[in-house]
Amino acid sequence: MGPSVKGKLLDLILVLGGLLMIAPLVWLIVNALSEPIDAFQLPPQWIPRPPTLQNFQQVPDLIPFAQMAWNSLQIAVLTTAGALLTSALAAYAFNRLRFPGRDQIFSVLLAALVVPVQLTVVPIFIMMRWLHLVDTTVAIWLPALVNVFGIFFLRQYISSIPRELDEAAIMDGAGHFWILFRVILPLARPGLTALGIFVFEASWNNFFWPYIFLSSPEKMTLPVGLVSLQGAMGGGPAVVLFAAITLVVLPILVLFLIFQRSFIASIASTGLRA
Amino acid sequence: MVFVALPLVAAFGLSLFHWDLLSTPEFAGLDNFKQLVSDGATIRAVINTFVFALASVVTHIGLGMLLALGVHRTMTRGTKYFVRTAYFFPFLVSWAAVALIWKYVLDPAFGLANYYLSTTTNWLASPTWALPTLIVVDWWHTIGYTFIILLAGLQTVPAQLHEAARVDGANAWWRFWSVTLPVMSPTIFFATVITFIGAFQIFDPMVIMTQGGPDGATRSIVQYTYEKGFQSFEVGYAAALSLVLFVVIMIVTGLQFRLSRRWVHQ
Repeated sequence: MGPSVKGKLLDLILVLGGLLMIAPLVWLIVNALSEPIDAFQLPPQWIPRPPTLQNFQQVPDLIPFAQMAWNSLQIAVLTTAGALLTSALAAYAFNRLRFPGRDQIFSVLLAALVVPVQLTVVPIFIMMRWLHLVDTTVAIWLPALVNVFGIFFLRQYISSIPRELDEAAIMDGAGHFWILFRVILPLARPGLTALGIFVFEASWNNFFWPYIFLSSPEKMTLPVGLVSLQGAMGGGPAVVLFAAITLVVLPILVLFLIFQRSFIASIASTGLRA
Repeated sequence: MVFVALPLVAAFGLSLFHWDLLSTPEFAGLDNFKQLVSDGATIRAVINTFVFALASVVTHIGLGMLLALGVHRTMTRGTKYFVRTAYFFPFLVSWAAVALIWKYVLDPAFGLANYYLSTTTNWLASPTWALPTLIVVDWWHTIGYTFIILLAGLQTVPAQLHEAARVDGANAWWRFWSVTLPVMSPTIFFATVITFIGAFQIFDPMVIMTQGGPDGATRSIVQYTYEKGFQSFEVGYAAALSLVLFVVIMIVTGLQFRLSRRWVHQ
């Protein structure tokens, strides 16, 4: 085999593998768009005919979908904004300020990076119960406001910004907040974007934490809502569940196609997975 | 601090008590830890988690590397775009949606999987197949991540090094072994550590797809912690279990860092 034949063959294998990867997602969308009677046929249908939106209309009858979407969005936005703000402040303090015990506190923080959330969930649950915050969205975003990884990541980022810029600002009589918000953060924008995408995606898709803390349908986030819908349906039509899943999955996939570049850059630079 | 350091100390404290969240906590000393060692379900969950994590690391790094090598060549723009996007897509889907979709894909009666594999196996209900099946689903979900990280690492390998090796008469395999692998070793190490930690914390697919069954065959440490803490309300025992998870992650990660000195190129 010549190198070009080998290359074409490899291309073919990769493309076939790629089709296999997206097959479950295509199947999801096709069934969501099918009449119940046409769905889940064997051999599998890859084109819905005739396509219908009736399954999507039925979703709100079974779960408060709009409310759940709102909860998810509210939590993701608060978490992202909070994590960015606290991380920026803390990162600035750890990198630019001198205070006693700074490096010791930072190493304790580093150690916290390896503490899995599963270890903290039992004590935080007890804490939240005490504060009567179980089954509220507060229980989800409040503990997520401080993001240890975010502090670490932004500190690395800020340390690469030359200190001469701060000094010039100090000469002009600027305070710390002015330096942070007017000098440092504009320069740290790519880092903030990467961290923001990462935190938002992780919050939007999170299942573990909301599953433990939320129990009323109108308080749930979308991932937990989907699972509750599956439970509530019993033997009901799976096409409605598929429609609901499609409503959750499709916007993310479209957003990804639009912002692919920053998305990939976010993964490659933060290196963390949700 | 309130949400990191305090809970850590609290978990240690709680693990020394018997408590059902309602009555007053009762001091238990090391009872919970003694129970850990003799509880068959705990041992099973620890084994399952280790099997899952090991399989996860091997399949993610091995196949992820092959994929990255396959894509890192001359290709038409369209093919490259399609392949990269197709393998990455599932990573964007939340575990909840992934688990629900796959429950149907794997359905013995009308699922895609059995139709194309022409079998009637009930994958998720089989004590032999349930855990391997979840490993496959997890691979489908997160390979895009490993792939992107490894591809980014591959792109840092300087072309001149390959050229030099080629001039010296090294064949493709030897060039991979003596140039690509050493230069990429920090990336591979990083991906291995992250995959391991992620796999040890696995919870979502077990809860949604199998409830840990059949007969505990897919129960993971975190899932067992959840059952003990939030279903049967043995809070002290759950805290002890979560400490086990913490210690296991610390030991394995520490070990990986130690071993990395032998193979990771600094």
